[in-house]
Amino acid sequence: MSRFGAKKGNRAPGAEFTWDADPGGVPDTAPTPLYPTYVLPYARKLSEKEQKEVDYYRHLRERFHEGPYYSVLDVSSSTAKKGSAARANFDPFHGMPSYSGRYQKKRRTIPKIANIGRDYETRFFPRELWQTIMPNFRPNASIDGYNAQTVLSGLKRGFEDDEDEEDESAKRRATGADGDDAEGDANEGELLDGDEDAEEEIVDDDFEDDDDDMGGDYNAEQYFDGGDDEYGDDGFGDGGGGGDEDTY
Amino acid sequence: MMMSQYAAELCALLIEDQFGDLFARIFTTLQRYERLPLPRIKFYSRLTDRQLQHGLAAMIQHHLVFHFTSLEDGHTYYAANPHAAYYLVRSGKILQLVESRLGEYAARVMETIMYLGHAPIKHLETLPELRYLKTGTSGGADTTVKMEATPADADQEQVQEDGNEFEQELDQKPVPEEEEQQDVAFDAEVAETNGANGDHAADVGDNRPAPLNSTLKALASHGYILRVKDAHFQSPEDNYIEAHKAAANRSDIKILKGKRLTEELANKTDEIMRERTEGDLSEAWMVNGLPRGLKRKSAGGLGDSEASNKRHTGENGINGDHGYDDDENDWSEDEDGFDSSPMEPGLVVRVNYNKFDVALRNARFVEMAEANAPPVTAEIYETFLRRVEYSTKKCRDVTDIPREGEEGEQFSIPIETYKIVSDLDPDLELSSCMGPSKPPTSSSSSSTTTSNTLNRRGKRPLENGHGNGINGDHYDDNDDDNDQFNDNVDGADNEVSRAYQVNQHLSLLEQAPNNLVSQVNLSGVVKWRIGFRGLARKLRHLEIERLVEMRYGDVALRVLRVLHAKGKLDEKRLQEISLLPFKDLRQTLSSMQTGGFVDLQEVPKDAQRQPSKTIFLWYFDPDRVSSTLLEDTYKAMSRTLQRIKFERAQRRDFLEKTERSDIKGNEERWLSEGELEQLRRWRATEALLLGVVARLDDMVAVFRDF
Repeated sequence: MSRFGAKKGNRAPGAEFTWDADPGGVPDTAPTPLYPTYVLPYARKLSEKEQKEVDYYRHLRERFHEGPYYSVLDVSSSTAKKGSAARANFDPFHGMPSYSGRYQKKRRTIPKIANIGRDYETRFFPRELWQTIMPNFRPNASIDGYNAQTVLSGLKRGFEDDEDEEDESAKRRATGADGDDAEGDANEGELLDGDEDAEEEIVDDDFEDDDDDMGGDYNAEQYFDGGDDEYGDDGFGDGGGGGDEDTY
Repeated sequence: MMMSQYAAELCALLIEDQFGDLFARIFTTLQRYERLPLPRIKFYSRLTDRQLQHGLAAMIQHHLVFHFTSLEDGHTYYAANPHAAYYLVRSGKILQLVESRLGEYAARVMETIMYLGHAPIKHLETLPELRYLKTGTSGGADTTVKMEATPADADQEQVQEDGNEFEQELDQKPVPEEEEQQDVAFDAEVAETNGANGDHAADVGDNRPAPLNSTLKALASHGYILRVKDAHFQSPEDNYIEAHKAAANRSDIKILKGKRLTEELANKTDEIMRERTEGDLSEAWMVNGLPRGLKRKSAGGLGDSEASNKRHTGENGINGDHGYDDDENDWSEDEDGFDSSPMEPGLVVRVNYNKFDVALRNARFVEMAEANAPPVTAEIYETFLRRVEYSTKKCRDVTDIPREGEEGEQFSIPIETYKIVSDLDPDLELSSCMGPSKPPTSSSSSSTTTSNTLNRRGKRPLENGHGNGINGDHYDDNDDDNDQFNDNVDGADNEVSRAYQVNQHLSLLEQAPNNLVSQVNLSGVVKWRIGFRGLARKLRHLEIERLVEMRYGDVALRVLRVLHAKGKLDEKRLQEISLLPFKDLRQTLSSMQTGGFVDLQEVPKDAQRQPSKTIFLWYFDPDRVSSTLLEDTYKAMSRTLQRIKFERAQRRDFLEKTERSDIKGNEERWLSEGELEQLRRWRATEALLLGVVARLDDMVAVFRDF
C-alpha cells in the first residue's frame, strides 16, 4: 500500500486513493464504525381488532381528558395567575395571548371533585377527604353518632424539625377554614353562571402557599408586581386571569 | 408493593397519559416512598393542600390509590395501586372483548363504568349517554372519526341481536328523562301489547331507550363487573393484616396451640380475606348456570353464516310476529319476570379485571388452537372455553407465578359434551373438515359430500357454503377414527352424531404438543376440561421461543429447546444432541448468554477451581428469562409511551389547534386539506404506537397474569 512499494507493482503512486476502486466500501483510513449496522424492525400493521382496541382506548382517554379529573401541574400560558410558578414558565414565543386563545383548550390544575353531578360513596373515602368530596360537610358535626377522634397535631415522626411541624399544622387549620369559604364561593359561582366561575375557582393558588412555605416576608415573585393588577382583566375572557387573589 | 423501576415508570406514564401529570406526580411520590400520610405526601410531592386533597379523592375514585386509616393513631395512610394503574393500558382490549361478546351498547356501559372508576347503579341510571341505544351526542366528543365508522356494522348486528334479547324494553315508548326508574316495571307490561302490534318500527328508530338494566345484569352475570367493597380500597397487605388480627381474636382460634394454631390461623385469615374482598356478582344473576344475554351468540368468529341466520329471523319478525315471538320465548321465559327490573340501586360496581384476565387468556388459547387446527375445531374450542370461563373467577390462586416445576396443575371444571353441543351454533358444519365423511366411493371431495347429505336430509341449502372455506384444512390422520363414525352419520340420531363429532374435534386438540384440552371419563360420561397451569406455562415458553428465534435465529431456537428438554449440558453433549458444528454452537451460545437467555454453571473438580479441571454446563432457566423479559417489556412499553409523548410535543402547536373548542368536532369545516391530512397521519402514527403498546401488553399478560 505504501508508496515505497510502488516499484514492485506497476500502479501509479496514489492509486490506492482512487474513488472508483470500491464504490460501496469505506476507505482504509475511515474510522471504525461505532455501532454495527442493524436491520430496523418495522411494526406490523394493525389488524382490524387491534385498530378497534386502540380506538376504544383513545375514546376512553378522550373522555378522561374531557372529564373533570384531568389536571396538569402547570399551565404555562400567560393566562396563568400572576406571580405563580406557571407564569414563570411562560413561553413568550408560543404563549402570547391571541384572539383565538379564547378557543384554546383550558387545562385544570386541580381536579374538579364537587358539584359535577356525581355522587360519591362517602364510606369508601378516608375521613380526611370527606370535606373535599362533600363541600358542605362539617367535620366537627357527628355523623350517625360517630365522633372521629380529632387529630390536631401533624404526624410526629421525631426527625422533622419543629418549625416545619408547627407550620404545617397551622396551615392545615388555615386551609381548612379557607376551604370552607372557597367552596361556599364556588357554590355561589355555580348559581351565577355555571362553569366559567368554577373554572376560575380551581385555578391553582401557588402564590399563597409559597408565602407560607418560605416564612419570610421577602418574595421575589412579588417584587415587581406586588398587588397591582394592570394585566388583571386582559379582556380575553379566558377566565384564568388574575384579580382574584383576594378570594383566598 | 415494591415495584421495579420500569414498571413504576410505566404506571406513572400511563396515569399521566390518561389523567394528567398531577395524578402522576402523586402516584410517583407514593411509589417512591410507599405508604405515606397526607402531610408527608405534601412534603415529598411539593404540591399544595388543595391539589393533594382533590387529586387523592379523584384517584381513590379511580382506585389508583389505596388508603388505610389506622385504628391506633387515627392517621390515614395512602399507597399507590400499581395494579389498577397498569390495567389502564388494557382498557381498549377489555372494551373490545365486551363488544364482541355482548354488543356495542354493553361496551359503552363498560366504558362509562371505567370512566367513573366505580359507580352505584342508581347513578348509571341517570346518565344521559346510557339512555339510548345510539349516541347522538356522547359525553366525550368523539375525536376518532374512524370510531364512528367502524361500529356501524356492529350496530347493525347489535340492533338485530337486541331486537331479540331485549324486545320488551326496546318496544316501550321512550322514557322521558325525568321519569323514575320504577316505572320500567309498569312499562314492561305495556310493552307486551306494544310488541304485539309490530316491532319492526323499532328497528328504525335511533332514540329507543337502552336496555341498561339487562345489560348491567348481563355484565354482572358474566362476572365482568363486581361489587365494590371497603376492602378493595385497602392494599392487600393491609387487608391481610386486618384479617389476621380478626382471625387471631376468634375464640375458637385462641384455644389452639403450636402447629395447629398457625395452620388454623392461616386458613381463617385466608377465609376472612376472601370474604371481605369477594365482590362477585355472577352467581346471583346467572340463569340456569349460564350468564344472561348470550343465547344469541355474538361470537366474532361466526361470519356470514350467523349474519344470514339473523337476517332470516328478522324477516320472520316482519312477516308475522309469531315466528319472532317463538324464537324469543324459548329462552327468555324463565327470566321474563325480572329482566327489566332494575338491579339493587345502591349497588356500587366496578370493572373486574381478574375476570378479564381469564377471558383474555382464553382468547389466547383459542388463538393457539386456530394456529394448528381447522377453524371449526377452534370454534368448538371457543364454545367450550366460554363455558369454562363462566366458572373461572381468576387466572390462578397465588399472587405470583410459581417457579417452573414447582406448580401443580389446576384444572377447570369438567364440561360435558352435550353442553358444548347445545351451545354450538346449530348450523355449524362439523364434519366437513374431518376427512371424508363418507367412504370415498360416494364422491370425490368432501365438500360435495356434505352438501349432498344435507340436501338429502332436507335440512337447509348450503347458502354461502362456509363449509367450503373450512375444507381447505384436511386432517388425514383422523381417517381411521372416523370410519366407525361414518357408519352412523346417516343414522337417525343427529344429536348423538354431533356429540361424537364434537368429541372428535376436541380430541384433535388434546394431542401433543399443545394439549389444549384433556378428557375425563367419569362414570361413562365424557367430559372435557382444561389444565390451566400447563397451558399458561406453554404460552410463556412459546413467547420466549418466539423472541429467541427472532433475535438469534433458528439455530439458537434449537439449542434452547435442547437445553430445555435435557436440563444442564456441557458443550460436547450439547453439540452431539443438537447436531450443530462447534463454531455455530459456540457463537449462538455466547450471543444468547449475552442476551441473558442461557447461562453457564461451573462445577469444579477439585478445590483449586482451576478452569482446566472444571466442567462448564449450559442451562436455560425459564423463570429467570421470563422475569427479565417482563422487565424488558415494561421498559419497551414505557419507551413507546414516551415516544408518543415526544411525537405529540413535536406537533404540539398543531395538535393544540385541532383541540380548540371551535375546531374539535367539525374538523372538516375549519381545517385545510393539508392539515386534515396531517391530522390523519398523526392519528395513524399514534394508533400504531398504541397498538405496539397493546402487543407488548399481551406479552406482559403472558409472563405475569396468566
